Amino acid sequence: MNLAAPVRPAGTRATRALRRVRAVRAGHVFVAGYVMLLAAFGIVPTAYGIYFAFTNSANYFAGLSNFTAAARDFRYLPAVGHVALYLLIWLVALVLFVTGLALVLHQLPARRTGRLVRFLYYIPGALAGAASVMVWLFMLDPTVSPAAPFLRLLGYGTFGQVIEPGHLAILFAMIAFWTGAGGWIVVMYGALNNIPLDVIEAARIDGAGGWQTARRIQIPMLRKWIAYMVILAFAAGTQLFVEPQLISEASLGVAGRDYSLNQLSYDFAFQNNNVNYAAAISVELLVVSLVVAAVFVTRSRFFDAD
Amino acid sequence: MPTDTTAPTVTRVAPPGAGRSRPRRRRRPARAAGQILPGLLLIVFLVFFVLPVIWLLLAATKTDAQLVQDNPLSFGSWHALRQNWDALTSFQGDAILLWLRNSALYAFLALAITLVAGIPAGYALAMTEFRGRRVLLVATLVVMLMPTTTLVVPLFLEINAVHLIGSLWSVVLPYAFYPFGVYLTYIYFSTALPRDLLAAARIDGCTEFGAFRRIALPLAAPIIALVGFFSFVANWTNYFLPYVMLPDSNQYPVQVGLGLLLTDVPQFNPTAGTAAVLRPELALATLVAISPVLIVFLFAQRFLISGLLAGATKE
Amino acid sequence: MALVIRAVRGRRHPRPSLPRAVLAVSVAALLASTVAACGNGASSSGSGSSSSGMKDGFVQAPQSSGTLTVWVDSTRVPAAQAYQKAHPNTKLNIVTYDGDANGSNTLQTKVDLYDRTGSGWPDVVFSAENNEISWAVNAGFTAPLNEGLIPSSTLSNFAAGALDPCTVNGKVYCLRNDLAMVVLWYNAPLMKQWGYQVPMTWPQYQQLGLEVAKQHPGYLVGNAGDTFTPEIYMWASQCQANDITGLRAVTVNVTSPSCTRMASLLDTLIKAGSMSKLSVFSTAFDKKEKGKVLMLPGPAWFGGAVFDTSSGLNTPKGQIAVAPGPQWPGSATPSTGNVGGGLWLLSAHSRHLAEAVDFLTWVTGNNAYQDDLAPGYPAYAPAASAWLANQAKSGYYAGDIAPVLQQAAGQVWPGWGYGQFSQEAIWASTIDPGLTAGKTITSMLSAWQSAITEHAQADGYQVSP
Repeated sequence: MNLAAPVRPAGTRATRALRRVRAVRAGHVFVAGYVMLLAAFGIVPTAYGIYFAFTNSANYFAGLSNFTAAARDFRYLPAVGHVALYLLIWLVALVLFVTGLALVLHQLPARRTGRLVRFLYYIPGALAGAASVMVWLFMLDPTVSPAAPFLRLLGYGTFGQVIEPGHLAILFAMIAFWTGAGGWIVVMYGALNNIPLDVIEAARIDGAGGWQTARRIQIPMLRKWIAYMVILAFAAGTQLFVEPQLISEASLGVAGRDYSLNQLSYDFAFQNNNVNYAAAISVELLVVSLVVAAVFVTRSRFFDAD
Repeated sequence: MPTDTTAPTVTRVAPPGAGRSRPRRRRRPARAAGQILPGLLLIVFLVFFVLPVIWLLLAATKTDAQLVQDNPLSFGSWHALRQNWDALTSFQGDAILLWLRNSALYAFLALAITLVAGIPAGYALAMTEFRGRRVLLVATLVVMLMPTTTLVVPLFLEINAVHLIGSLWSVVLPYAFYPFGVYLTYIYFSTALPRDLLAAARIDGCTEFGAFRRIALPLAAPIIALVGFFSFVANWTNYFLPYVMLPDSNQYPVQVGLGLLLTDVPQFNPTAGTAAVLRPELALATLVAISPVLIVFLFAQRFLISGLLAGATKE
Repeated sequence: MALVIRAVRGRRHPRPSLPRAVLAVSVAALLASTVAACGNGASSSGSGSSSSGMKDGFVQAPQSSGTLTVWVDSTRVPAAQAYQKAHPNTKLNIVTYDGDANGSNTLQTKVDLYDRTGSGWPDVVFSAENNEISWAVNAGFTAPLNEGLIPSSTLSNFAAGALDPCTVNGKVYCLRNDLAMVVLWYNAPLMKQWGYQVPMTWPQYQQLGLEVAKQHPGYLVGNAGDTFTPEIYMWASQCQANDITGLRAVTVNVTSPSCTRMASLLDTLIKAGSMSKLSVFSTAFDKKEKGKVLMLPGPAWFGGAVFDTSSGLNTPKGQIAVAPGPQWPGSATPSTGNVGGGLWLLSAHSRHLAEAVDFLTWVTGNNAYQDDLAPGYPAYAPAASAWLANQAKSGYYAGDIAPVLQQAAGQVWPGWGYGQFSQEAIWASTIDPGLTAGKTITSMLSAWQSAITEHAQADGYQVSP
């Protein structure tokens, strides 16, 4: 790519137009495979799900009746409260700590240490779902937990005390962070590596310390990635399911049952054979996530080809 | 200073007088604190992330009684580990190995399709203007945000309509749809690949495919590794889809197999009787189930963090 | 500086006017409605259009010979394998699943999906949950067995009340695998050593519990921390917490004396310290109560699952004995509770009914499996006596457990049914957190009543006080 060569004329208008058409056509070809998958496994099921939300079991149009009926269920309002509290704790913890840890890791001098630490942070990410039921059953039980001194310090002597209803939001956020943070740290770290070195160099020469470099240069350049993380984490948070489900399994139903809206949706779908109510709740969660996503997308100019 | 990028360092001569002449001595205490705090943060989180995993590792070496009675971080015995392994493999005749094989098959097949479909798509979304680009981005986002609970029934009906229920494609094809990966690719190309590079290539007479093949692809190693890795992990740890689609426990991936093992632990299902799976066995099964993910991570790490284009454009 | 050519966004080649987005959406809608049509069409054709018509009490699918698909959990795999061995000519497809244990709801989930597509049902299913009938009958999944498929002579051989979870309006929709009646387990040498008499009534039991708390603190006479605690104590006390009166009707009244008397007994003993608030399967219980259990009311399977196991209390040989569960003075008939069992269901969509029925009757009643390999007390009475003989051979128990178990098998109180809502889950989420926080069961009774009512109504039940 020799840009010092003498500039050639760009070609006639026809050539440029042809290049334009070729670009568009190529664009279509490039996305063709993905579009097929998107249509088959994304759009059609989603459209069908939305269809379920607005029809009843006899396939007649039902207006908003599914939504109101689902909202009248005795578990609905408590679930909304649970999810709201969880979201707050989860989002704050995720954004703060993931960005912070990625930045700190990025400034580590030794490459090997950084790699090792990232790997160790990531390991829990492999323990998703069923695999970690037993892990948490033991970790949260002061009689057998390696963290027993810490639990006892907080005043908990039995498993039952640890999974008290008031603790659940923090507990679930902690478990979700434990499994999810590692992956996001890897992504953020990679994003940090994409910041041109000369920019960082310049800052360092100008005397900026680690914290200032982070605040003035790195974080603004991570804008898109952080926005992406928040959008997905928000959606994942509203769709809270795995963590209460696994604590419910571990505690044999004492805690975490019917805790979140998504669990309620699941119950409607598979216990009451009521896909319509389940879809109504799903559509509500989708709308909320879309609104937040829209806010972040527009604020970070997400869809602009930077 | 990160040393694992491939970008050559650009030396920049500071114009005279531009550098601030602060006495270095004054900054030392602040810098020391600035180094202890991050280090502390790293270590605290290290313990947080790693302690349960260490517990799990040690749990696989104990007998069930030892798991309850002994110190949580004590080592059991090699003999107990051996016994746990024998008991685990005798569960339905080496079922765990069959499940691992299934997981690998599904995950790699889907991963291949994801990369072939997703990387060009992300590139095109980032680098080419075509009609429907924004629609595609919006549609992808909407679909990503839809809760999967309600998608199960339509998906099941769809797969049934093409008579694929019970075959591995009922699992592999939905796995291959990985919008998160497309978005990652989109963000990567839109932030890392300057448009002028491609414009220059187009002027030089490159076709779109040529530009993609000669410029974008060689520089895409980090994002291919990232998307490939995340796709692999998502496929490997997916529980609900195979649980619904696959009727036979011989087809289960290891994640669903673990769920099956869990229901045979006497503490969760007292009537387990002769098929009882003891907790250390389950710990061992869990470790076996997650090790491929960790091995792939170690392998992919090399590519995951290499950085920018090698100074192909100047400011 | 490189010369950057800005691409000209010219409309040189006008495209057809239909916007791409609208096109995409309409294609999606078309696809969706096609799939919907396929789904609905199949399910509607599956239920009514068979050529056999009504036979044996239900509409049968066209019959053929072929592979019998059997779903079992890991513990029942030996049963299916034993059947295959004894019947080499039958083609059997043994599929292992989680047995619907732990509230996983697998069977209902999968049957619902199969109903939508019109195919895929197994022929015979084992379920560890006793409340399958509450949804399976309405879904048309189970076939009635007492209207021609299985002779009444076979059905009458099941213990009294064993087929209650299977019976709706006089029709029997499944076969019971094993019984889990509640008896009183106790440590015989310890009782003798301390000079205690085995209590015959609940007041005697309470008295004993208070004495033990005073004289031998730390020892237990019972446990109130399990999710199945209501099935042990409340059921035995004839508490009307789960009086299922129809497929979608239940009567709930937990503030009546039959409930409050048991609640107050539990509270008294918990307060005194001779009743634990921990689950019998928790690690804390294992650690704390090893060797400290004097008595424990519990189901028949406690022997193998709690006492005679190294992952439980690991009580040595010759100590554990069984006595009939205590009774309230003045009750006309002795009654006890029940925790579990298992069901074998026959699919109404099965195309191999003859083979399936043969499998069903063999696996519940055949001595070769039930006596040698089965872990639980068989519900089929002739098989049960042989099973008891086998248990006696092990020599683990102090004394003969057979007469007590046999007597208790017929004493399960029929006033506690099996609804779709899980009583265990309700107790676990309503009462257990309160117990942990130090509240008494008596103070939580009205909360328990509301919780049962709400869950029942959410599942479509008519709840009458």
